[in-house]
Amino acid sequence: MIDFSLLIFYGFSLVLLAAGVGVITARNPVHAALFLVLAFFSGSGIWMMLEAEFLSIALVLVYVGAVMVLFLFVVMMLNIDLDRLREGFWKHLPLGAGVAVLMVVEMILVVTSRQFSALGREGSAPAGVGISNTRELGLVLYTDYVYPFELAAVILLVAIVAAIALTLRRRKDSRHLDPSTQIKAQARDRIRIVSMRAEKDH
Amino acid sequence: MSMYSLYLLVPLAPLAGSLLAGLLGKKLGRNGSHWVTTLGVAISFLASILIAQDVFAGHSFNGTVYTWLTTQNVSLVVGFLIDPLTVTMMLVVTFVSLMVHIYTIGYMHEDPGYQRFFSYISLFTFSMLMLVMSNNFLQLFFGWEAVGLVSYLLIGFWYTRPTAIYANLKAFLVNRVGDMGFLLGIGLILAHFGSLDYATVFQRAPLLVHDTLSLTGGTSVSLMTLVCVLLFIGAMGKSAQMPLHVWLPDSMEGPTPISALIHAATMVTAGIFMVSRMSPLFELSETARVVVLVIGASTALFMAFLGIIQTDIKRVVAYSTLSQLGYMTVALGVSAYPIAIFHLGTHAFFKALLFLGAGSVIHAMHHEQDMRHMGGLRKYMPITYVTALVGSLALAGIPPFAGFFSKDAIIEAVRASHIPGADYAAFAVLAGVFVTAFYSFRMLFMTFHGKPRMDHHTQEHLHESPAVITIPLVLLAIPSVITGYLYMEPMVIGHYFGDAIQVLPGHGGLEEMRAHWQGVGEFIQEGVLSLPFWLALAGIASAAALYLKWTHIPALIQQRLSGLYTVLDNKYYFDRFNEVFFAGGARCLGTGLWNVGDIKVIDGWLVNGSANLIGRFSQRLRRVQTGFIYHYAFIMIFGVFILMSLWFVKA
Amino acid sequence: MTFATPNLVPAYPEIFLLVALGAILLFDLFVAETSRFLTYAYTQLALLATAGFLVLGATGSVLTTFNGMFIDDPMARTLKLVGVVAVALTLAYSRAYNQQRGLYRGEFYALILFALLGIMVMISANHFLTLYLGLELLSLSLCALIALQRDSARATEAAMKYFVLAALASGLLLYGMSMLYGATGSLNLGLVANAISSGAADPAILVFGLVFVVAGLAFKLGVVPFHMWVPDVYEGSPTAVTLFVSTAPKVAAFAFFMRMLGGALSPMVADWQSMLVIVAMLSMLVGNVTAIAQTNIKRMLAYSTISHMGFLLLGILSGSVGGFAAAMFYVVAYVLMSLGGFGLILLLSRDGFEADQLEDLKGLNKRSPWYAFMMLLIMISMAGVPVSVGFFAKLAVLSAVLDAGMTWLVVYAVLMSLIGAFYYLRVIKIMYMDEPLQTEPLVAETDHRILMVLNAMAILLLGVLPQPLFDLCTISITHSFHG
Repeated sequence: MIDFSLLIFYGFSLVLLAAGVGVITARNPVHAALFLVLAFFSGSGIWMMLEAEFLSIALVLVYVGAVMVLFLFVVMMLNIDLDRLREGFWKHLPLGAGVAVLMVVEMILVVTSRQFSALGREGSAPAGVGISNTRELGLVLYTDYVYPFELAAVILLVAIVAAIALTLRRRKDSRHLDPSTQIKAQARDRIRIVSMRAEKDH
Repeated sequence: MSMYSLYLLVPLAPLAGSLLAGLLGKKLGRNGSHWVTTLGVAISFLASILIAQDVFAGHSFNGTVYTWLTTQNVSLVVGFLIDPLTVTMMLVVTFVSLMVHIYTIGYMHEDPGYQRFFSYISLFTFSMLMLVMSNNFLQLFFGWEAVGLVSYLLIGFWYTRPTAIYANLKAFLVNRVGDMGFLLGIGLILAHFGSLDYATVFQRAPLLVHDTLSLTGGTSVSLMTLVCVLLFIGAMGKSAQMPLHVWLPDSMEGPTPISALIHAATMVTAGIFMVSRMSPLFELSETARVVVLVIGASTALFMAFLGIIQTDIKRVVAYSTLSQLGYMTVALGVSAYPIAIFHLGTHAFFKALLFLGAGSVIHAMHHEQDMRHMGGLRKYMPITYVTALVGSLALAGIPPFAGFFSKDAIIEAVRASHIPGADYAAFAVLAGVFVTAFYSFRMLFMTFHGKPRMDHHTQEHLHESPAVITIPLVLLAIPSVITGYLYMEPMVIGHYFGDAIQVLPGHGGLEEMRAHWQGVGEFIQEGVLSLPFWLALAGIASAAALYLKWTHIPALIQQRLSGLYTVLDNKYYFDRFNEVFFAGGARCLGTGLWNVGDIKVIDGWLVNGSANLIGRFSQRLRRVQTGFIYHYAFIMIFGVFILMSLWFVKA
Repeated sequence: MTFATPNLVPAYPEIFLLVALGAILLFDLFVAETSRFLTYAYTQLALLATAGFLVLGATGSVLTTFNGMFIDDPMARTLKLVGVVAVALTLAYSRAYNQQRGLYRGEFYALILFALLGIMVMISANHFLTLYLGLELLSLSLCALIALQRDSARATEAAMKYFVLAALASGLLLYGMSMLYGATGSLNLGLVANAISSGAADPAILVFGLVFVVAGLAFKLGVVPFHMWVPDVYEGSPTAVTLFVSTAPKVAAFAFFMRMLGGALSPMVADWQSMLVIVAMLSMLVGNVTAIAQTNIKRMLAYSTISHMGFLLLGILSGSVGGFAAAMFYVVAYVLMSLGGFGLILLLSRDGFEADQLEDLKGLNKRSPWYAFMMLLIMISMAGVPVSVGFFAKLAVLSAVLDAGMTWLVVYAVLMSLIGAFYYLRVIKIMYMDEPLQTEPLVAETDHRILMVLNAMAILLLGVLPQPLFDLCTISITHSFHG
């Protein structure tokens, strides 16, 4: 049983990594975005294995369902010059790759350290039947974590304000009618009757 | 009003006056300015009297007024130490200052810089009070520099005169030499005592008596001696002791009221006050006291000689000030600090009197200062004459005038002392008595007696000075007569100063004087029978003979002893030496350093070179800022990588 | 499961600010374009009331609430007050500038208040989550503020750079935090500190997490090598926003450092001390040296900020209570100087003229001796010349470093500030010795002028009498970190 779940885990992980590499190497941005969707799916699968069902589904719903679709729209609408993006890629590759490899080595050294390997050996006990992941999350989210929750709400509010402030434009050159002013219009505002002294012909 | 607020009032009232006159002088007008400043000083004087009563009722004060800054080890504070020594100084300073303020109203009334002058002298009073009231070295140094600054400003008050500018530059430079020593002394104290507070330093001093500082070459020097000598170098600058005295005669370029206030009565005594205040330190180093004694004795005698040949009335008084400061320093050297302060007090009164009297004469003579063009002024200026006579008698040390007591006490103390150099000092102060009496009466006779030698026009306009000038003269003449008699016993013999001054047993003649003390009357009787009195009389008689009777003799003497006269006329060549050796040497060195050091090394290599280097480096760094976001991101990642790698290498 | 209502009292200032903020957003909808002053006045009023809540609610003790995620201590109160004052001055200085540049909008005020809220949340954070959320709240608001001048390509570019790099920094920070969580099993700062000192956590993972956390923090403070955004953002943003970016967020960044390094990671002082030494040294070098080559004042001040932040780190890295207090003094002094510096640039700018080139200051003394004198004060304070608050700030951090036994670092820092003095003095030289290029009269709002004078006088006054502020910092730090 353990072996089977391990197999699934490695499967997901491999797909996740490959998709990640795909995101940054794909020539076509649409492909890159699709690779990202794949990566999200794999990640969600791993979360599912960890019995984090809520997070897993939220990831698919929010990121795949909403964010990535929006992202794809944008990418497709914009005409991105691929060659310019890739300019200098090969020039910078040796240095970048060197640093990246060294960092990976260091990270592996840390991750395989005493404490984390100990964690892996013990594993965590599976949750009992009937415990709802969503319910548990909801309980702490609205009690213990109410303060960060509210803060997150404020951040969303900022995002809304910022988005409106940065994108909403009242075009000055567009002509639009305002019915209320039309209704309010009265004759005396529009025309003025000037009595002029009649001039006689000489 | 609590005593604490009185303490604050004393320095702040003159400061307020100074600020008002200085900043709002134009709005206040001339009258407004002299009123606010004089009032400020008067308040300060009255408050000082009240404080003095309180202190002599036994209430000393030592505390912090304001903590300016506290660091881990040292706290820099503004604080007051109010004890008998302080109040004595406060009374002297505020009284003389008040007299000078009043006097200035008359003396400077035609000067365009009227408000500025009042602002300066009130500012000076504030600084001097901060100096004497301080309870720590920082504030002492602040006051020290502040009085120096105001003195500098006032010497150059008539800044259009080249001589005034030269004189104030000279005062500034010479005082810097002294201040350097002073600052080093304070630095040593901070380093070794770990505090700038008087009480703490004095308390720790006995523990550090045997500490030494090793110098290069294996020699070492006693810490206490070094500290005391450095502090005394500061005192030498401010109190014009040889060889740092050269600025004082030139400072007479300033208006006469400040010559009286700053360069005779108060600021120049700051050094004497400081050494007395530091008596717990000086008592611990005999070497330092010997230095003090020898320098004081030399100043007392040799500066007195110079007084003989001066023809400028203010310069005579200036050299007599130098000589009298020498007397005070001698008293310090033989551990007779109370006598030094006693002489400081009496001297402040009669010297201020003499200066203001000289000023009155100068005022009447339309700013003529040469005594060869005076004579016979007694008839025209009776009040000035009488007060000047009182001042001269006090200076010459004739009983029962104030100077007699303090000067005789110094001579007694020196005779009783057994410190090395005391014999030389005894000779110097005794000989000084004759010379002092001689030049002070020479001045009196040349100015007020004999035939008038001024031109006809001046003679016609001669008249006594107005009341604002004569009243301070009279008010100063009174203490010049009586303070000696009144304060001899409490100050010198009694325990007037309490713990403010410390004298270790076996040091100096003060103990012997106290042992043989029989009363003021006896002291006068003894004085009349002793050598100094007769020397003084001889001095007066010689002056009378040479300048009243046989007036052709001085010129003959001058001819016969032309060599000696030239030496004296050139003030022992101190100025010449300084000019050639220090100024010339410094100029040579400066030119050399400028050509080689500055232009080539510093400008060429260091400044331009390093500026070029930094400039080039700067341009290169600037180019790192490419504007490409991925460069920035890469640099960040690289930073993380470097930090991380460092710790992996370490682990 | 029962839910106990958390104690809201310590968080009253934040709660009030949020409520007022919502009200301003609504209120501004109904305010006509011509009477925008009402929004401004209302914002200032809200700030005043927030300051009132801060001062009146101060207890002098350490309280936690919201399940230990929110901490209220003297340091937090003091720093929040500094932040509120800085924002209030920012708004006052930039009012005329905003009017001339189409920034006089309700969103500007709302976003600045959102940023302030983020700052306050960060200052009071006692939990990795709240630290991070406060940080994001601040970053997002800042980003929108920078981009608010939509038609300016430079501002948009600056905003883009800030956004991407801030996201990267947040990523680093989160990665570091997750490592620390992995090693200690807690997100609460106090519990993390306990877990580390108990020795249960693996030091390798801790140091690994620490590196990333320091990197993330260093980005916020803008120290080398995480400083690259600073000059571009300072130069590209409208000056009003630059003024804001360079002041209040630095207070938050300082608080962040204190909470993280002085609090949660205090047992690892030996590790982060040497990291900060490297970062501080680089900052002082790059900041001071590069500033010399600048011709744009805003850019010059950006590099000057980088070097100042290096100095600030000197206080933190000494790892002692005295050093923390010195750093706090430094950050307050810096905020004051920066407000003055940018405030003066705003004062000199007009419609269509930014006054952001060094040569715009030429001969300022001839045009207005008063402005020139104020700039002189600010410059000597930034250079650290005695009798200015900047001098005491440098003195305080240097003496803390000296006490920590790193004499060589003090020598290095003094050397760097000498190099730095060069470009500050150049500004003075330009103002006093060169001939003016323009002759237009300088016009400015009265309130702006008065506040500028007060600001400059505060710099001078705190240089003469630094003790009260120093005491305040020392008390705040001692009460917050020991007892």
